[in-house]
Amino acid sequence: MPWATWRLAAGMAFAVALLSLCAMGLQYRLVEARMSEAVRSALAADLGGFAALYEQRRIIALRQAIDYRAAAGGREEMLLLLDRKGQVLAGTVERWPDGLQAAGEGFGTDGAAEFRQGQTRWLAVARILPGGFPMLVARSLAPVDATLASLRRGMAALGVALLVAGAVVGGLAARSVMGRIGRVNALADRVAQGDLSARLPGPRSRDEFGLLETHVHAMLDRIENLNRATHRLSDTIAHELRTPLNRLMQKLGRVEGQPEVVEELRGEMRNAIRVFDSLLDISRAEADQGVGGGLVPVDLSAVAAEVWELYEPLAEDKGLTGAAAVQPGLGVLGDRNLIAQMLSNLLDNAIKYCSPGDSLSLTLTEGPDRHLLRIADTGPGLPEDIRGEAFERFVRAERDRGIKGHGLGLALVRAIAARHGAKLDMPAAEKGFVLDIAWPKLPA
Amino acid sequence: MDRILIVEDDSETAAAVATEVRALGCEPVWLATLEEGVAAAISGDFRVVVLDRMLPGGDGVEAMARMKAGGARALILVLSALGRAANRVEGLEKGADDYLPKPFEPEELRARLRALLRRGTMEVLDNDLLAFGDLEIRMKARTVHVKRAHVAVSPKEFELITYFARHSGQVVTRMQLLENVWNLHFDPGTNVVDVHVGRLRRKLEEAGSAAIQTARGEGYVFAPQIASGGAT
Repeated sequence: MPWATWRLAAGMAFAVALLSLCAMGLQYRLVEARMSEAVRSALAADLGGFAALYEQRRIIALRQAIDYRAAAGGREEMLLLLDRKGQVLAGTVERWPDGLQAAGEGFGTDGAAEFRQGQTRWLAVARILPGGFPMLVARSLAPVDATLASLRRGMAALGVALLVAGAVVGGLAARSVMGRIGRVNALADRVAQGDLSARLPGPRSRDEFGLLETHVHAMLDRIENLNRATHRLSDTIAHELRTPLNRLMQKLGRVEGQPEVVEELRGEMRNAIRVFDSLLDISRAEADQGVGGGLVPVDLSAVAAEVWELYEPLAEDKGLTGAAAVQPGLGVLGDRNLIAQMLSNLLDNAIKYCSPGDSLSLTLTEGPDRHLLRIADTGPGLPEDIRGEAFERFVRAERDRGIKGHGLGLALVRAIAARHGAKLDMPAAEKGFVLDIAWPKLPA
Repeated sequence: MDRILIVEDDSETAAAVATEVRALGCEPVWLATLEEGVAAAISGDFRVVVLDRMLPGGDGVEAMARMKAGGARALILVLSALGRAANRVEGLEKGADDYLPKPFEPEELRARLRALLRRGTMEVLDNDLLAFGDLEIRMKARTVHVKRAHVAVSPKEFELITYFARHSGQVVTRMQLLENVWNLHFDPGTNVVDVHVGRLRRKLEEAGSAAIQTARGEGYVFAPQIASGGAT
């Protein structure tokens, strides 16, 4: 995640530097063209001057003018006039440059050519004047090159500076963005760990991040309210239903002479209470799902062994065989009563549905990243048609209508598992019902 | 006459509790609001307070600390519609001596009140040997003997018989056993407890003691003296 932010910052710095370099490149081209143009005009002016002199007194005048110029010692001009045999008549240099061919007559700048002598580039017009006198008029391009070179150096330095500045500014921006996203992330983590009342402290900024925090807070408020409402609702339901049921129960106590009927009615009432207790337990466990509050370190091994021990005689009496293999000392963060209730639901179910001769087992082992608890029996198992929805409320198989139950046992098992962050899995079994519960380990 | 304070806003329930209190030979005092209840518990001399939770004036469980801080020495039985395991554990953790969910059966309440009344006067059972006629329980060795013959009991069965012994002569309900011997605060639906008591009872009977009797519709009663007289 931070990588994405850093990449964005680097990309932006690079893009800014590239754009600036393009703009500077354009300017560079312009400067180069203008300066070359200026040199060419100077050359044209020189040639114009020589043309005028040639008009008056031909070679003599040219020779005098070149001598005069050579004596002046200008370094930006190269002038050379030869005779028919190639002897120097006058010039600022000793010999005709290599590789430069004189062509044409007249003093126009057409056919001006560049040549290089030593480190310097020259723009030259070489002619053969009537009578076979080669003449060279050239202007140095050194000032142009020097200007362009310093321009290039400037651009390179500026490019590096832009990249560095971009990286620094981008980095600072990225760090501030990351810091503020990090705040929201940390809040989300705290909430995920169960602290529903966690909020970000301090004032909120007046930008999108502030808005994001405001939205997250509003969302959390709503979740917290819903959670609280669920809790309040279950308390209210409990109160409003149990109070009249309690009156019924007390009045039943005053009925005389029909003890069987009274006992039966009490049994029915206990049943009704068990159903809504289960429903309330399920919704409470679901509402508290992922909320760590109220969970404490529990010795899962001990609870599993105790619940097994509670049900073992019942299983024996029913003629079931089986054993528990519980690795001792495995702890989870949990609610002992909920875990016991879950295991007792599962064992109770297994004993209810199995027939004499079936086997029933409970195993608890330490896996690589979770504690694995398996309850397996060789009873009738789940019918295929409800396999997918067996953990939903009030789902019961058609064939089990004759057996007492409400179809809430497995729904409660699932809700309690979810409350503890435990994963349920029903591996395919040849025969019977197998349920794996993978418990998160106690954080070290 | 021992006095028992009933803090309860539902008159029907209060009347039912009062009936059980009188059946135990105590005098009921009924108050309908939490404030009155707290004040009475502090100033009056009560053996037990039967305390509701969702009362006009607040939650009884939250008020227990105030009662105790005020000097109330009565034992507290919370009697509440908030009856799920989590509520019960919360109540017990916050200082209740017992917690009974509504709706309650009169026999259950009576058994619990009797246990609390007795707890107030019970001599501390830290002596090693508990002897009930032919039946002897040795706490340190964790052994049970009937007529000097050793009876092999499982660790849970030993806990079961010591709980019975501590409440000998009283009716003990299944729910009490589940809560006190197994420390489980939910109704498992199936009568798992009966199977355990049945096994312990058979072992004792095979050794010649009919100490554990069924109290019809209520639970069990541990009455070794009477039983050993009648046993053959």
